[in-house]
Amino acid sequence: MIVGQRKPFDEIKSYVDGCQRILVLGCGTCVAVCMAGGEKEVQILASQLRIAFKEEGKDVQVDEETILRQCDREYFDTLKDRVDKYDVVISMACGAGVQLAAELFPHRVVVPALNTTFIGIAEKEGVWSEKCRACSNCLLAETGGICPITICPKGLVNGPCGGTNHGKCEVDKNKDCAWTLIYRRLEGQGRLEKIREIHPPKNYKVQTTPATIWHAAYREEEA
Amino acid sequence: MEKKGAEEGAEMSYEPKIAAFCCTYCAYSAADLAGSMRLQYPPTVRMVKLLCTGKVEPIHLLKAFEAGADAVFVAG
Repeated sequence: MIVGQRKPFDEIKSYVDGCQRILVLGCGTCVAVCMAGGEKEVQILASQLRIAFKEEGKDVQVDEETILRQCDREYFDTLKDRVDKYDVVISMACGAGVQLAAELFPHRVVVPALNTTFIGIAEKEGVWSEKCRACSNCLLAETGGICPITICPKGLVNGPCGGTNHGKCEVDKNKDCAWTLIYRRLEGQGRLEKIREIHPPKNYKVQTTPATIWHAAYREEEA
Repeated sequence: MEKKGAEEGAEMSYEPKIAAFCCTYCAYSAADLAGSMRLQYPPTVRMVKLLCTGKVEPIHLLKAFEAGADAVFVAG
């Protein structure tokens, strides 16, 4: 899932200072799971803003709403007629959601409340770690299901490098060496010969920016 | 010294509104017992009885501040 972190309150407030009507808009999927931009976090941010404006003696309307996903257009349908009431929308979605909100409401200022950090997994409650850099050229079949592009700071496709140190990385000794993890995984699977295979340099050509994907069933529309 | 006395007077006149979220089984029972013992506490302490303070979410505390509380405490 996409993992995000809420921006500092002062930064968010600086985006909306001077506004009279504010909508705090949450996203009920990834950022709700990582406790950054779901319904509960919308309530907290809206409440903090109301308290801050009240302390300044300003009469500002701060409303709250959370939709299931901000990366799909249809979930914005319920908001279409209401958004014009607001000066600004604070989107608590990931960067994708913020941009779709801004695209759908081009006459309204849409600002982000989160910093989108990575695609990752939940290690345990409250802890997430990055697992995928969305490189469009997945190597996991060759590397025992461990991604060297993400885990290795050098992104080596043939490793380990000379900096591996008893299973830790020379760049950060607190972090595991990706290629030692891969070695151990392959060893456990009895597939250690895989590590002897030389992988060609990574094809960054397939990693286009910005990328667009058409599902096979919808290709006719593309033509 | 006079000034200090005036300051103390000002402090005494400030009566903070305090919202207390209390667990029905311990803190609220303790408050009940305090009542039975005729112990007094300021009327500006407003108690909210909860079945369990484990249910308290940050938004409950923020809502209390929004409603005008100067301080909030959770006892359970």
